[in-house]
Amino acid sequence: MFKRRPLQSKSEIWMRNIVMSILVIYMVIFLIVPVVMVLMGSLHQWNPLNGTYKWIGIENYTRMFSYPTFWQSMFNTVIFCIFVVFFRVILGLGIAYAVNSKMTRFKTFFRTVFYMPTVTPLVAVAYVWKIMYNPQFGLIDKIFGLDINWLYDSAFALPALMLMTVWKDFGYAVILFLSGLLSLPSDCYESASIDGANAWQTFRHITLPLLKPTMLFVVVTSIISYLQAYVPVLVMTKGGPGTSTYLSSYLVFDQAFKQYNFGYASAISLFILVLTAIFTVISFKAAGSKEN
Amino acid sequence: MKQRVLKITLFVILCLAGAATVLPFLWMLLSSFKTNAEIEALEQSFLPRHPTLENYINLQNNFDFLRYFANSILIALVVTILVIYTSCICGYVLGKYKFKGKNLIFGVVMMTMMVPWSVTIIPRYTMFVKAGLLDSYLSLILPFMFSGFGIFMMKQNMENVPNELLEAARLDGANEFQIFHKLVFPLCKNGISAIAIFQFLWVWEDYLWPYLMMDSEQKQLLAVGLTQFNGRYATDYGGLFAATTISILPVIIVYVIFQKRFIAGVAAGAVKG
Amino acid sequence: MKKMLTLCLTAAMIFSLAGCSQQNNRETAGITDTQEDKGLDVMGNHVTYDPNHLVNNGNPVSIDWWIWSSEELFQNIADAYEEIHPNVTINLINNPWDGYFTKLPLSLQKGADGPTLFNIHNSYENLLMNYIEPYEIDTQQLIADYPSAASHLKDGKIYYTDYGLSTGMVYYNKRLWEQAKLTDQDIPVTWKEFIEIAEKLTVFDKNGAMTQAGFNYNNQFQAIALGLNYQFGENLFTEDGKVSQTAGKGMTQAVSLLTDLYESYHVGDKDFGTDCEQSFFQEQSAMVFVWGFFVDKLKTNYPDLEYGTFEIPTPDRKTPYAYYRYNGESTPGINKNASSEQKETAQDFMRFFFANDEIQIMLSRDGGLIPAKSALMDSEELRDTPLVRTVGPHIDRYIWPGSMPSTLENNIKIAGEDILYNGKSMEKALKNAAKIIDVDLANADFTASESLYEFYHQ
Repeated sequence: MFKRRPLQSKSEIWMRNIVMSILVIYMVIFLIVPVVMVLMGSLHQWNPLNGTYKWIGIENYTRMFSYPTFWQSMFNTVIFCIFVVFFRVILGLGIAYAVNSKMTRFKTFFRTVFYMPTVTPLVAVAYVWKIMYNPQFGLIDKIFGLDINWLYDSAFALPALMLMTVWKDFGYAVILFLSGLLSLPSDCYESASIDGANAWQTFRHITLPLLKPTMLFVVVTSIISYLQAYVPVLVMTKGGPGTSTYLSSYLVFDQAFKQYNFGYASAISLFILVLTAIFTVISFKAAGSKEN
Repeated sequence: MKQRVLKITLFVILCLAGAATVLPFLWMLLSSFKTNAEIEALEQSFLPRHPTLENYINLQNNFDFLRYFANSILIALVVTILVIYTSCICGYVLGKYKFKGKNLIFGVVMMTMMVPWSVTIIPRYTMFVKAGLLDSYLSLILPFMFSGFGIFMMKQNMENVPNELLEAARLDGANEFQIFHKLVFPLCKNGISAIAIFQFLWVWEDYLWPYLMMDSEQKQLLAVGLTQFNGRYATDYGGLFAATTISILPVIIVYVIFQKRFIAGVAAGAVKG
Repeated sequence: MKKMLTLCLTAAMIFSLAGCSQQNNRETAGITDTQEDKGLDVMGNHVTYDPNHLVNNGNPVSIDWWIWSSEELFQNIADAYEEIHPNVTINLINNPWDGYFTKLPLSLQKGADGPTLFNIHNSYENLLMNYIEPYEIDTQQLIADYPSAASHLKDGKIYYTDYGLSTGMVYYNKRLWEQAKLTDQDIPVTWKEFIEIAEKLTVFDKNGAMTQAGFNYNNQFQAIALGLNYQFGENLFTEDGKVSQTAGKGMTQAVSLLTDLYESYHVGDKDFGTDCEQSFFQEQSAMVFVWGFFVDKLKTNYPDLEYGTFEIPTPDRKTPYAYYRYNGESTPGINKNASSEQKETAQDFMRFFFANDEIQIMLSRDGGLIPAKSALMDSEELRDTPLVRTVGPHIDRYIWPGSMPSTLENNIKIAGEDILYNGKSMEKALKNAAKIIDVDLANADFTASESLYEFYHQ
């Protein structure tokens, strides 16, 4: 412990203290104080417009747990999250593997194309897809000769949002897996081919385990961002038909900035935080257990 | 022979996937040259039958999209540059120095990535209202000066910088500030490109926060302008297509410029995990 | 890469500088008014306005006025006022309806930097009440001119009132009407007749897919359903005005009538034209039921579309308990936290707004309203507007349920979608809505005004 490097230089201490104190102050203002405020707020009836801030104990939470829309939104969020993460990973991995294959030409071109939706603003994309889903003149029904009212049919509305999100985001996974594949050591493959493993075996037993850190990164960041998704709902369905596409973050937006129930919205948002933490821990655990 | 079949199949699959990816963009672009009557017609064609520039011309008359565009670019650039700098310097300190509490600080940084916007937005909103920062660009910049994701990426990047290089510079008598600015900072181009693209996009597509904070029409950002446009001219699909085309184009350009470094940067930062 | 960045940054700087200078120009612009006597007549009946005075001592003053639609209409009013008082600048700020009541409360929290004047919808009254300054106009005079102001009295003051009354009616596309060989004689009175007409206006292609809807209420279900219950003899609220009867008999009958139109008679489809207003613009729906504001929307967006209007049909030819509900179109509120100069200007402007008959006529004519000002109710200019012509004869048979909080429309909308799209049973969907509505009503401390109705009974 006491060996290692010689004494830290003065400038290092200066630099460390300045940078870290700014960072810590920032964290306190924009992370710790807000979390404490939300925690307190969730125990109050809180409406900033008429200055209400009244202690009501856990009433916001009891109301939340007895509110069917809350459970529906949580259910939708979990479904949304699982499906989108799943397809994002599968598509991302598959396409990255294909692009990375020695047999593929025009790699840069494909890479650029697949990443295009990811670099476009979600709000803009959501409007385009909203019109694409129109049952009378939308692109999707026309191309496939379907007659589905995507955004108004409770069986299709949430999948429609998921489809759009997968389209928008799978490129992110493609790029990450591609860089993961590029950084794999090539000697593993050589020994595998000497052992006479076929392509699938190589992929299953060598590539996949080596890609685990990338996989974990993709899964965790995706889970975090999809538990917070609201823009597709805001632009495309407003939670409808009925309440069948409410996502929990949209519910927070609705309660906070449409109905001005800040306390109630705080309670819901804390629940999302807990959910995020649980999901993150589960993915880390799952990654860990496979290793053994 | 088998190789060849495989090769062609692979190519066809990739082309199909690529087409599916590009189709919505293509449709949007082509539709922005159609008249509203043609867009809404029950009989559809892919190519515009009577191509018109009217949507773009009307757009500027009805709505100051150029202005929104400039605002968005300004904010996105300022935030991106700030984040690049803060991420690098924090990443450097966290990645290269050893000190008490480092892990705690880094743990909190990682937590910022996990805390949903829905938790922080209400208190942040309350704070900014109290501070009188509504309708000021500061409110769009201050909360995003540091990025947990950026610091995490750069910490990983920094750990790749060989210690010998730093020691050599130290022996030459350079102080840490000089080392960071002159030596380390330029070494992290790839990581910077990755953060630049992510961060630019996040600011560019952020909707709710600028929507809540900005009032003046001439200060508004593009993503919000787009929804305002839709609220006011809900039936003007052609205009909406033109507006969306305009709001998508610049990000694609930025992406194409940076894309080479970008992948290397992501690889260096994220994958090490 | 560095070059690229520098280039972008410079461009951004230039843009933003240009923006700043533009703004500065606006703020310094403004003329000083020195002419007190403008040689204009005093206007108004009970509330009067004498234009021959200086506002803010003639010094330049600028106020923001928030609106959500009809920009041209309100611009005309602002222009008329600015013409009399050239030192006043009124900036109209148009925020679309969708989000207006998210943005407005936020903006009002900025105090003096917020809007000075803002349009109000009475369903959001409880959100805004804390920010409104009462009018400095004698309430008795105001009520004498605008009788419905009496219902907006709070502690002897009026914070906002109605400039017009609006309600819904059926709009039909004249071209499609003629195409189906229908004439003015065919205008339906009962729902049975209405369905027959609508069937004639509905077109299917050879595969049985709808290409034209006879009647479309998509996205407006909540607007038509709330109030249709009166035709079946039941009020929206209980006698004490505190609890909604959205799961009651009247509402149930109203909702089943609406769903039958689609599901039994196929004169429209939940999947055809997902927004009835847009579908009407596109001439894909022949008839829609929309409120008076649609007149202005049609005029500004589709001036060439020829349409007619008729009153909402009834179950039989007898006069129903009430045809439907009406609501007031609210006058702008004054921000109580605005600066004293701005408030003085706004108060003066509102007096002008109330006293000026021309403005009131224009608002009702172009905004599709029945004027709230008693002197104008029989005015020549308004006799032939769509709304007056259509519902004028029976307006005493329309009920004002009070300033219904937005929760009613929101939850009936959800109930409607649950029934039509999600296959929920009507009872369950309506009960669900009623439950949430009643909690919200209690929180908002709402009391219905149905008991003021002339023919009120249980």
